[in-house]
Amino acid sequence: MAAASKAAISSSAVLGSISTLNNPSLLKMSYYFTILSPTDTPLFNIAFGTSKGGGDGIARFRFPETAQYMNQFIIHSSLDILEEAQWTNGGMYLKHIDTYPPAAAYISAFLTPSGARFLLLHQPPNLPSSTSSSSGLGSSSLLGTAGSTTRASSSSIAANPTSPQTEEAVRQFMNEVYENYVKTAMSPFYKQGMEIKSPVFRTRVTAAGKKWL
Amino acid sequence: MTNGFRCISVLEPELIGFLHMRRTRVDKVNAELVTLTYGTIVAQLCQDYDSNYQDVNKQLDKMGYNIGMRLIEDFLAKSGVGRCANFRETADMIAKVGFKIFLNVTPTVTNWTSDNTQFSLIFEENPLADFVELPDDGRAQDELWFSNILCGVLRGSLEMVQMQIEAHFVSDVLRGDDTTEMRVSLVRYIEDEMPPEEE
Amino acid sequence: MAAPPRHATMQSISNGGIVPGTDRQQTQQTQAQLSQQSPGLRVPSNRKTIYDRHLNRSRNTELSRASFAFLFGEMVTYAQRRVTGIQDLEKRLNEQGYPLGLRLLDLLFYRSTSTSSSALSSSSTSSSPPNRPLRIITLLHLIHGPLWRLLFGRAADALEHSVSPDTPNEYMITDNDPMVNTYISAPRDMSMLNCAAYVAGIIEGVCDGCGFETKVSAHNQPTELWPSRTVFLVRFGDPVMEREKVLERAGVK
Repeated sequence: MAAASKAAISSSAVLGSISTLNNPSLLKMSYYFTILSPTDTPLFNIAFGTSKGGGDGIARFRFPETAQYMNQFIIHSSLDILEEAQWTNGGMYLKHIDTYPPAAAYISAFLTPSGARFLLLHQPPNLPSSTSSSSGLGSSSLLGTAGSTTRASSSSIAANPTSPQTEEAVRQFMNEVYENYVKTAMSPFYKQGMEIKSPVFRTRVTAAGKKWL
Repeated sequence: MTNGFRCISVLEPELIGFLHMRRTRVDKVNAELVTLTYGTIVAQLCQDYDSNYQDVNKQLDKMGYNIGMRLIEDFLAKSGVGRCANFRETADMIAKVGFKIFLNVTPTVTNWTSDNTQFSLIFEENPLADFVELPDDGRAQDELWFSNILCGVLRGSLEMVQMQIEAHFVSDVLRGDDTTEMRVSLVRYIEDEMPPEEE
Repeated sequence: MAAPPRHATMQSISNGGIVPGTDRQQTQQTQAQLSQQSPGLRVPSNRKTIYDRHLNRSRNTELSRASFAFLFGEMVTYAQRRVTGIQDLEKRLNEQGYPLGLRLLDLLFYRSTSTSSSALSSSSTSSSPPNRPLRIITLLHLIHGPLWRLLFGRAADALEHSVSPDTPNEYMITDNDPMVNTYISAPRDMSMLNCAAYVAGIIEGVCDGCGFETKVSAHNQPTELWPSRTVFLVRFGDPVMEREKVLERAGVK
């Protein structure tokens, strides 16, 4: 925790843009990304957290012990909506397609033309009861370099899963994963529906997450 | 067929290869179609032979041999070159004309033995292996020579011009090696009157 | 190829999703078992892998047509030894083309999103990514134009729709001089063989990938002028035709 706040401080000081994190964990998103085959076979999945604005890139889902199953459940429950969107919107990136209020989870989707689906679940952290968290570590120094307290919450990717900034960041993330997915799929030994085990691919997806989210 | 031909030494092999590439654009095909088709062939063999990679290597070599026997005519017609004076010249012709015409790459000829009967071809580029990642099954990287068809091609085509050779890969970047290297050895000239006496 | 039902969920618009719940539960279990770690393949000391190679690197590069003909000829000869008749052989060539169709589809779209001169859209100035084909005619144009250009350097020669009221699901793509037949002479006992079955498989892969369940076959239709003229007969499955009606009514283009 202390390390995380420290990272937030230095990065904020440099960037000077996202600098209003009363509690560094407040605006940090947790992400669960999965690739499904056209027949719903899971090919790849990864969990990570916000890296932008000084995030440490670590996922902190609301219910850590059941997160793995919960995330998969939420993603699969959005597939019907996805399949409907698939035939009304011809884009590859379908943006935010579904929300799962019980877990405050949002689902964004990207469809490859060959039928694989990229699904990104984003979950904001549990909002602490509003004012009590302002005594968070390093809050005073953060505020010291800050602009207004409200700006970050509206412009930060993490703050609003459906904002245009977030949609754009997710698009960039998806595009970068797509490029690497195509490289995987071009190999003659890769057959549609095969699990993607390459550690290099995993590294690339992780890097894309760090870069854009 | 080849008796009476001589190496045309007016042009350097590089130039012959280059001119050929310039001259015959109609006879071209998208390189990726070739790459992907070759990948399909190898993947199919791996499936048919149940990932017995030694057998896959053998089958690829056999296919290459069949190709080589027919390809040499095409090569002689396109390149206009005739018989080479010695094995060193043959090696140059293979690398700078043959590979240039058929794969648009020019492997480096190197590592000659002192008796001039063995050399290596080092491939900086190998269009057959573009996009390829070998199966991560703990064996393919030790057993499969993905581009093994090329060994057969050399064996088949050189046999048609009275040279019995042996060719095998000794390294491949697909296996994690730093280079892709094929070792080629002259076994013997097939006709009694070979090699040609100096004129 | 052991093909799982491809796009079993295509009709989701008309009936709100028909995937059985049991399948999805199973899927979730499998997902939990996905291996997270793999030691991975050895890489050269420069650490270069397929992920370091730009996907456009070999774009527009060419090779000798003879190289393709020799390789493809060996592929046909080899396949011939493992089958019992022409139909079997064509089926096998078709199956070998199918995964290629899926790959080329992804490659085409990647290239049109990543570069300014789009491989898919006719207006090269448009920078917005291309759309996945939702309607049959869009899909067929994609095959007739961009796919053919990628593979053979030119568009196909004709695209036609069956006029018979009995077969509204049939379309024909014609190539007057298919490159795959140019250098390939069919084995003597198989004079009816059309090696373009390989290309038919590629088309089938593209259609299926886009969610259009299809059967594609290649047929010799020689004319005096074009002795190796080939017609690719594209037959869409019933679910596709039903979805097509729904999309038509909904005004989806």
